[in-house]
Amino acid sequence: MSEMKALRAKLDATPQSLPAAIHLAGAYVDYGRQVGDAHYAGYAEAVVAPWMGQARPPTSVLVTQATILQYRHQFSDARALLQKTLSLDRNNAQAWLTLATLDMVQGDYPSAGKDCSQVTANAGLELGLACSANLRSYTGQARQSLAMLHQAEAAGDTVPASYQAWVQGLMAESAERLGDWPLAETHYLSALKLLPRDNFLLVAYADFLLERARPKEVLTLLADHAQSDTAFLRLALAQSALHSEQVGRYTWIMAARFEALTLRGSDFFGREQARFALELQHDPQAALDMARRNWQVQREPWDTRLLLEAAAAAGQPQAANEALDFLQKAKLEDPIVEPLARRLRAQLNAPSGEIK
Amino acid sequence: MKIRVAALIVLSTLVLGTTVVQAHSASDAYLSLTVDSGNRRGMFVVHGQWDIALRDLDFVLKLDDDGDGRLSWGEVRHHQAAIERYAYASLGFSGNPGEACVIKPTRQLIDDHADGAYAALFFDVVCRQAPLKLHLKYNLFFAIDPSHRGIFVMHDGANIATAVLSPQNDVIDLTI
Repeated sequence: MSEMKALRAKLDATPQSLPAAIHLAGAYVDYGRQVGDAHYAGYAEAVVAPWMGQARPPTSVLVTQATILQYRHQFSDARALLQKTLSLDRNNAQAWLTLATLDMVQGDYPSAGKDCSQVTANAGLELGLACSANLRSYTGQARQSLAMLHQAEAAGDTVPASYQAWVQGLMAESAERLGDWPLAETHYLSALKLLPRDNFLLVAYADFLLERARPKEVLTLLADHAQSDTAFLRLALAQSALHSEQVGRYTWIMAARFEALTLRGSDFFGREQARFALELQHDPQAALDMARRNWQVQREPWDTRLLLEAAAAAGQPQAANEALDFLQKAKLEDPIVEPLARRLRAQLNAPSGEIK
Repeated sequence: MKIRVAALIVLSTLVLGTTVVQAHSASDAYLSLTVDSGNRRGMFVVHGQWDIALRDLDFVLKLDDDGDGRLSWGEVRHHQAAIERYAYASLGFSGNPGEACVIKPTRQLIDDHADGAYAALFFDVVCRQAPLKLHLKYNLFFAIDPSHRGIFVMHDGANIATAVLSPQNDVIDLTI
């Protein structure tokens, strides 16, 4: 917070300064991402707007704007800006890293592999390692991913806490792919020790706890984070798992928050909205519609899992066809997604009427 | 549409002990207009309610006087005039060509929405005669947050018009 104030003062004193603007916008984006607050992406956008309005915006501004759009899940607009950046500056490390993330989120793993090589070439081994390890956790190579992340971990305190936390979070994710729950938990806790308020980590760990039938701990973990919509959904899910009398209230507030997003025309939380419809509103058809729409833009394991779960719940295994093909190609290994996919495939292959 | 917007409002209240940092969805304001059909003899009047998130107002106007991270009713009331000045400077109406319509603030309350407390600004738009079209221009917060959206609803008898106001869509012509 105080860092942002100082950067704001600096830009106010020198409004023409591009470095001051880039620093402030970057601080806003990081902070907003950390606490899960979409307002800061808007503030960042306003900061770089004078340069974005120029006929030829500087590459640093293009990358910042792309990061903002990516955060808002405006993936194709973000991609276009990153490609424009790379056409002007082939060695822009930040652009390659952001593009790699984008390709992974959207499930284009061959492209992500190329992006990660560029990250290694332009940003150095540490970021390259994390990038490639992240990719391997999506393509059935979680064990290799963990080995690479161990290497990245060895950098220790010589690298920023945010990088260390990122590595720990990725290790937790890879351990989950392998079904090694104690290892996953160890890494989630190490990551949170480094960045205790990080919304992304908190939500991922909350999902881990919900999966392990430990909803009470979710209530404690997220008690101070109800402002974040993604965290609030996990609180509501925990209340539901506990059969608490608060469920109705939580469901109502969550619905109102999503309604507000719909009113402004945002698809920002497609994944969360599908999960909300499936698990809290018990409306598999609505969940399936949202999960399908979401899957057209986002294909992380959670997005695929939700689509499969919604298709199964709605009794429409054929709606999962495309996702099942995708899983086969990607070779994702995941102890939750795999059995789900097997069940749906069996239903699809069974003569009609045989399996209900 | 009316129901949808209404559903977001929990209750009107004059008491709040809310934190400045509230829900983290992007910034929205809710602008609703109702044409006063009983007032057609002389002036043309539209009643308005504009709900603006206190956290957004705090970002530009620094409402949190004691800096404790919470907004009290007293702090909001203390800045009531500044809030009105700031808000109404970013909203304009005109009627037939060359005929500006005047915004007359009537009162200000606090509304609790699902994502936190909002200042609810009530006002009348007064035009000298009923225009064929009411022209609305809106640019609240766009300079500091281009992702701000004004969720707009207008009731004219049984007709309801809706729009989402954004930097790309900051002007609407309303057929009366």
